[in-house]
Formats: sequence, structure tokens, C-alpha cells
Amino acid sequence: MIKSFKLPLLLLLFMFLLTGTNVFAGGFDSMKPEIFEKAWEGLAKFWNFTGFANAHYTNFIMIAVGLFFIFLAIRYDYEPLLLIPIGVGILIGNVPFLAGNKIGLYEEGSVLNYLYFGVRQGIYPPLIFLGIGAMTDFSSLISNPKLMILGAAAQVGIFATFWGAAILGFMPAESGAIAIIGGADGPTAIFLSSKLAPHLMGAIAIAAYSYMALVPVIQPPIMRLLVPKKERLIKMKPPRAVSKLEKILFPIIGLLLTTFISPSALPLLGMLFFGNLLKESGVTERLADTARNSLINIVTILLGVTVGASTQAVRMVTDPDTGELINKGFLSPDSIKIFALGAISFVVATAGGLIFARIMNLFLKGDNRINPLIGAAGVSAVPDSARVVQNEGLKCDPTNHLLMHAMAPNVSGVIGSAVAAGILLAFLM
Amino acid sequence: MIPAFVDNETWTITILGWLIVFAALIFLVGIFLVVPRLILWSTKRALRKKSKYSNREIKDEELILSGEINAAIALALYLYFNEIHDEESNIITIKEVRRRYSPWNSKLYGMNNVNFPR
Repeated sequence: MIKSFKLPLLLLLFMFLLTGTNVFAGGFDSMKPEIFEKAWEGLAKFWNFTGFANAHYTNFIMIAVGLFFIFLAIRYDYEPLLLIPIGVGILIGNVPFLAGNKIGLYEEGSVLNYLYFGVRQGIYPPLIFLGIGAMTDFSSLISNPKLMILGAAAQVGIFATFWGAAILGFMPAESGAIAIIGGADGPTAIFLSSKLAPHLMGAIAIAAYSYMALVPVIQPPIMRLLVPKKERLIKMKPPRAVSKLEKILFPIIGLLLTTFISPSALPLLGMLFFGNLLKESGVTERLADTARNSLINIVTILLGVTVGASTQAVRMVTDPDTGELINKGFLSPDSIKIFALGAISFVVATAGGLIFARIMNLFLKGDNRINPLIGAAGVSAVPDSARVVQNEGLKCDPTNHLLMHAMAPNVSGVIGSAVAAGILLAFLM
Repeated sequence: MIPAFVDNETWTITILGWLIVFAALIFLVGIFLVVPRLILWSTKRALRKKSKYSNREIKDEELILSGEINAAIALALYLYFNEIHDEESNIITIKEVRRRYSPWNSKLYGMNNVNFPR
């Protein structure tokens, strides 16, 4: 008996809340069919706003990709500082919504759009480089400068990918943006693609960061394939101690020299060397501390989330030339090609560094010889590739520690990929 | 349709681009091979001015320390400064404790005659 009363009462209350109409004021006579119609309309409108109504199967594919990134980061500890923000960003970017309400990342005036401004205009990558500069010790590089060439050798991955992308039919600017994945440097990839091919930035950034996270999986088989065990056992002589003066001179000379050669890379290299001077000068410890901790953390959060959110599965835009609606979303054949090219470029870059290290050994004698494994660290995934070299070295000889030696080509790879980005920008802009 | 060849511009950028990256880093290598020599030369010059080194030649090995030596010195200093408190004299001394008299610490004032036989 009580139950039978409860239901109509609840219904009336619900209608009162939904329509804002006081159905009790005029008695039950005022309950006209319009109220139900309005309620139904309201419900329908609400339904149209929900993600369920706007969902497309591609959204669920991308949500699965985002969840996979989060899983990789938490379960296997693969670059968690990047994969967690990017993974959550993918979830945020692929929750379906009704367009035109300033919600989405690509909608002018939305909060996400404001945050994305830093990516679109290439603001975040130089700030990341500032932090990297403030936390990088270039001592191993300064003590053995010839290892710097390995950082250049590994950039073959960038230029081979550029060539490959052109063969696959990408426009020159797009090929340049895709090529930078071979540099294994996320901020550089975002910086260059924001200038050369903004519509491909999501795919390029995700490919670059994914392969960076997979460095411990991709590199070891190539290292074992291209370097015979005898050469993997080479012990390198310990690096000499580097004076403070040399450490201070390095960022100043490096900044002037590299940016005079490649001025387009000024935002990246300028900030990298600036950050390093903050660290090495010894008198700006507070600034260096902020750059390598708080600042880089804040920018990493914003960069990761917005890059992740930029991977909307389907994004139909009007082609300015033909006026037709075309899909510029993440799930397109272009993205698959970009991922394939990215994988190849990583393999080529690693192989380039290893082979060049073996070639260098032909000209080096005695304890000046280098362990060719460190050539793999020429790809600039700092410090993961150096860590992989250390692990591979220890597998062959548990007393052979290559980490310090591998850091030299590793950090020179960062400089090399930034110079390469500047060169591509100069050629293709 | 996959084109079999790429145009001249692509070839130019591919080859020239890589060569420029090489050139930039080789320049940097060259400079940083010269800089330590210059620093060494100026250090030697400064040392020769001091009387201690004026009458003999200074060898490079005297000025260059390997990273391993530096690491050993750094470790030794670290251990010294962190474990210095563990080096005790091993002499145990019982110091005489003297307290000046005060009514506040007087034993007499602190006694209660609770169990005094009457």
C-alpha cells in the first residue's frame, strides 16, 4: 500500500525538479501533457549531451589505447612520468561529447584548448629542455669528446625516416615532422611537428613517446645482433676528471656554435644550454633547482595530458582546398604509417650508432678503443638508452660498467636531434 | 600508389641534413679537444710563476686526475665527514659532579618524616 503511494510522489517530485513547475500550486489540474512533453524533451536533450549518445566505436578503441598506456606505466614501469599523463590525456580526449560547447581540445575558448596552446605554439618543449639542461651532467662528454660523434651517427634514423616518409607519399613538411621520431626525443618531436605538420602532432608525439618507453624492448636485440660478444666485452678507460671551467665553458660554446649552425633550433638548444649553465655556474642553484624540479614537472604534466588529449579518434575538418570534410583524427591510415615509420627509424638510429662505433674502433688503438654498445645510446632517449647499454654490458661482463661512457653519446644525441630539427625546420618551413 | 623514387629535394635534405648534424658535432668535438689543452697550458704557466715549480718541468700527468682517483678522493672525504663521530678517544672518564648548595636542592628540605617512630 505504501509502495503504491511512493512511486507517484517520487514522479511528481522528479517532474518538479526537472521542469521547475510547481504542480501542487494549481492542483493536479495543472498537470497537462505539455509537462510530460517538456520533461521528455529535457531528458532527450540531456541524453544528447551524454557521452553514450555521442559515442563511436573508435572512441572505445582510443580509450583502450589510453588504458594500455596506463597499464604499461604502472605494471612495467615504462616511462611512467610520461605514459600516465599521456594515457589519461587519451582518455580525456576521447570521451565523446556534443561539439560546439567549448569542451573539446580543438574547440576555441575551451580550457583544454588554452592548455593546448603551449603545445600548438611550441612553448612547452623549450621549457622541458631547460629542465633537461639543468639536470644533465655533460662531464662524460667533455672528458671524451670523440664520443659526441656517436650522437650524430645515430641521427641517421631521422634522415632515413624522412626519406621513407617521402616514399610513402607524405608531403615534405609532413615527412620532416615524422622523421624526427628517429631522434627519440619527445619534446623535439612535438616542437618540430607543431611547426611543420600540426595535424599529425598527436600521432607523432604518441609514436615518439611510445617507442621511447619501449627502448628497453627494441634496442637489446639489435645490440646483440650487430655487436659480436668479443667487442661487447671491451672495457673502456675511466673518464678523466673535468674541471669546473670546462663545465662552464661547455654550455656557452655549445650554445653559440650549434645555434650559429642551426638557428632554427635556438628555442631548444638555447634553453638546454641555459639550463646547464644555471647548474654548472654554481651561483644560481635556486634557479637550477626550480628548472630541474618544479618547472619541468609542471610542464611535463601539461604537455603529457594535452598531447594525449589531442589524439581524438575521429576529427572531421573541412579541407581548405577542396571544401570536403576529411578525417584529421588519430585513427587514420596516416597514423598507422607514422607508427610503422617510427619503429623503423628507432631500429635504424640504434643500428647507425652501433655500426659507427665499430667503425670508430678500426681507427682507435689500445685502451682508447670504445665498447660499440655505447653507440646505441646515440639515440637521445635520456637516460633510458644509456641504462639499456649498462644492462647489456653487465650481461656480458658483470664488472664492466658502461653507464658513464654511454651518457656521453646519449646527451650528444639530444644536441644532435635538436640540431637536426633545426635543419629540417630551415629546409622545410 | 607508392612512388619508386623520391625527388631531388628529398635526397638533398636527407644527405645534406645528416652531414650538417655531423659537422656541428665534429666542430664541438674539435673545440673540446683543444679547450683542455689550453686550460692545461694556462695552469702550467700559472704554476711556473710560483717558485715551487720554477726550476722543473711540469708533466701533464701531475695535473690530470682520472675520474677514478677523483671518485676515490670524494668517497674518502664523504666517509670521513660522515663517520667522524665514530672515531672516539676510547678514554672513559667519570667527571666529578659538583652542585652548589641551594635550598631548592637541599636534601633536608625534601625529606618527609612519614615513618618516624614517635
